Amino acid sequence: MRYWSLLFALAAIISVGIFAYAPISPEWWLPAGPNVSAGHLHSVSSAGKQIDSLFVIILLITGIVFIGTQVALVYATYFFVDKGPNGRKASYFHGSQRLEVIWTIIPAAILVFIALYQMGTWASVKFRSAAPKVQPLAQVTARQFQWVIRYPGEDGKLETKDDLFMVNDLHFVKGKQALIYLKSSDVLHSFFLPALRIKQDAVPGLTIPVWFDTDQAGHYELVCAELCGWGHYKMRGNVTVHETQEEFDQWLQSALKEQSRDQVAAVVTGSQGR
Amino acid sequence: MTSRLRFVLIAGSISFLLTGCGDAFNAGTISYKDSEQFTKKQKDTPDLDGKPQLQEAVRKALADLFGPRPQEIKVPAGSGFPEGGRYLANYEKVGDGVQDIVYTEANSGKKVAVVGGYGLYRKYCLHCHGVQGAGDGPTAEFLYPLPRDYRRGVFKFTSTAPSNPKPTRADLKKTITHGLHGTSMPAFEALMSGSEIEQVIDYVIFLSMRGEVERNLISIAALVDKDDINGITADDIKESLDTVVNNWKATETLVVSPKARRTEPTRESVLRGRDIFLGKKFGTGQPVACTDCHGLHAKGDGSSFVERNIFDKVVFRRKSLDTAIEERYKELGDEHKSAQWQPGGHGGGHDSASSELPETFDAYKNRETTNWDKGSKDDWGNPLRAANLNLGVYKGGRRPIDLYWRIAKGINGAKMPAHGNLLPDDQIWDVVNFILALPYEPDLLKDAEQIKKSVTAAPAVTQR
Repeated sequence: MRYWSLLFALAAIISVGIFAYAPISPEWWLPAGPNVSAGHLHSVSSAGKQIDSLFVIILLITGIVFIGTQVALVYATYFFVDKGPNGRKASYFHGSQRLEVIWTIIPAAILVFIALYQMGTWASVKFRSAAPKVQPLAQVTARQFQWVIRYPGEDGKLETKDDLFMVNDLHFVKGKQALIYLKSSDVLHSFFLPALRIKQDAVPGLTIPVWFDTDQAGHYELVCAELCGWGHYKMRGNVTVHETQEEFDQWLQSALKEQSRDQVAAVVTGSQGR
Repeated sequence: MTSRLRFVLIAGSISFLLTGCGDAFNAGTISYKDSEQFTKKQKDTPDLDGKPQLQEAVRKALADLFGPRPQEIKVPAGSGFPEGGRYLANYEKVGDGVQDIVYTEANSGKKVAVVGGYGLYRKYCLHCHGVQGAGDGPTAEFLYPLPRDYRRGVFKFTSTAPSNPKPTRADLKKTITHGLHGTSMPAFEALMSGSEIEQVIDYVIFLSMRGEVERNLISIAALVDKDDINGITADDIKESLDTVVNNWKATETLVVSPKARRTEPTRESVLRGRDIFLGKKFGTGQPVACTDCHGLHAKGDGSSFVERNIFDKVVFRRKSLDTAIEERYKELGDEHKSAQWQPGGHGGGHDSASSELPETFDAYKNRETTNWDKGSKDDWGNPLRAANLNLGVYKGGRRPIDLYWRIAKGINGAKMPAHGNLLPDDQIWDVVNFILALPYEPDLLKDAEQIKKSVTAAPAVTQR
């Protein structure tokens, strides 16, 4: 019956194969930026780069441990099963202090290493003191089931008369730190930009600063990552990253112009797509 | 070999789980529900209670015009929709049969399969707006305000006039794209492409037409004797349909365009707007009664509406109106009593006679019940309140043109009347400027009582 061990080996080999294949395929790896041809292995945001490196380290550690334990398991089941009447009889013994100390200390050391190693990343992504000292991009208020986004108008200050109100439409500029204030007007939501590896819960009663950047212009996705009610699946937003500040300003101007519209559109377009 | 059998079972169920059920939201059949006018006695509208033959005739007419089931769409001739229900469902009529349609994108020339308004509606809209667009989907009961019932053909926020006009496609598009802030209607811009939103608009208009034709046919049938063999005639059906279709077709020409550009939002304009809001008459304008509903401080607590506290008890805590009024009266009495114990409160606490409210319970109940019945319902019979204008939440949109439309032509089906004939355009713009400034300057209405007194005491005031 030693061939059973080959079945186990097969499962392990498939797992390792997937593990090895994942980085090659953009579909299987972590979410990439809008321009996939520019390479998908490196995240497009500076927080993402740090977070991904942690991810890769953990993946390597668990990968090595996985391969090691699988080799040992398959080896033991293949060679020591079915030794027949001539083989040495298996013996039972209770406890081995040396073995137990080793298998406690090694994982503990790995855990302590990971815990210490990630602290810098956590601090730079989440600590309020690490928030960039820039003008806020917007105030984002989550509500069932949409993102209400309020940009400071030309005066750069929020909560003033020239604020721009948008729904589900987040704009910022490539290569610049964007700082938003995240709020919720009803229940828990979670502001999630998968490609930028930014995820932050929106908590009723709290105003939470969130900051992010990217080195790739284009369209991204904003989703809600906290089950917030029956319409959770609808809670998505469009994120547009502009190539230059001028492009962003242009967009802001046109949006403000639309918001202050006092006339019926010159021509109501009859484009019904038929 | 039982283990082999088990293996087959497990492997089978795993592969089922993996393949899943794509498009599951379109699986299964759904069917139109009759309107409550068919079989139930109605208070204010015609009904077909006890007229089974006529009920059947109306059902048949509807099925002939619009198809018997949501999955089997027919488009009445001349309705403006392409034949065969194209864009309503994902097929079109070719010869005698139907076939799936493919849409060629105008700018890219790419061919895209069309889901169809029906499929999109079923995925995104049905759970609130219901199968026949009656605003009675399974999630509707958790919402306030309730989802729109399309079947009256009345939509609140339109750019068109006069009374209860149809919305333009642009109006519907705006509602779907940006949602209605302050309600549960979300923005769909990030979920659907432009052409998909157009398909949903088509389907909403289709459902609205169907619902309104249903109402019209019931009104006609209600006048017919229940044993009349002729029942409703082909002419009746054609007439019911034509009125509805023509109204939808005419709507694009009914858009109200302001005659004057917006006044610059200067201090003077804002203050003028405030005085108009509080009832002052300027020039050729007539005094308007904004505060009756919106309240002196624009908190949506005017005297024409039931008290906020009672409204909340009925709408959000699901109490009966009588219980809510009783409880509120008791609360008011308690507040009144404790106020007398405060330092500086007038009247001795020991004197039970003076601790009574100035108004008797019957008078209070009478007034609040009337307010509830008369003032606090929209045309659909749903509870309604005037907007609190201090919050900066504008359901129909925050662009000056949106607020202009709300003031000049009112909100269809709700209590907000049209003011276009009472105020000249420049004064409407003053009010718009005031409303846009109020959330940032709550002090504008700090002395509302005195201002109201002084502006309405002016000799020029005539009644509205």
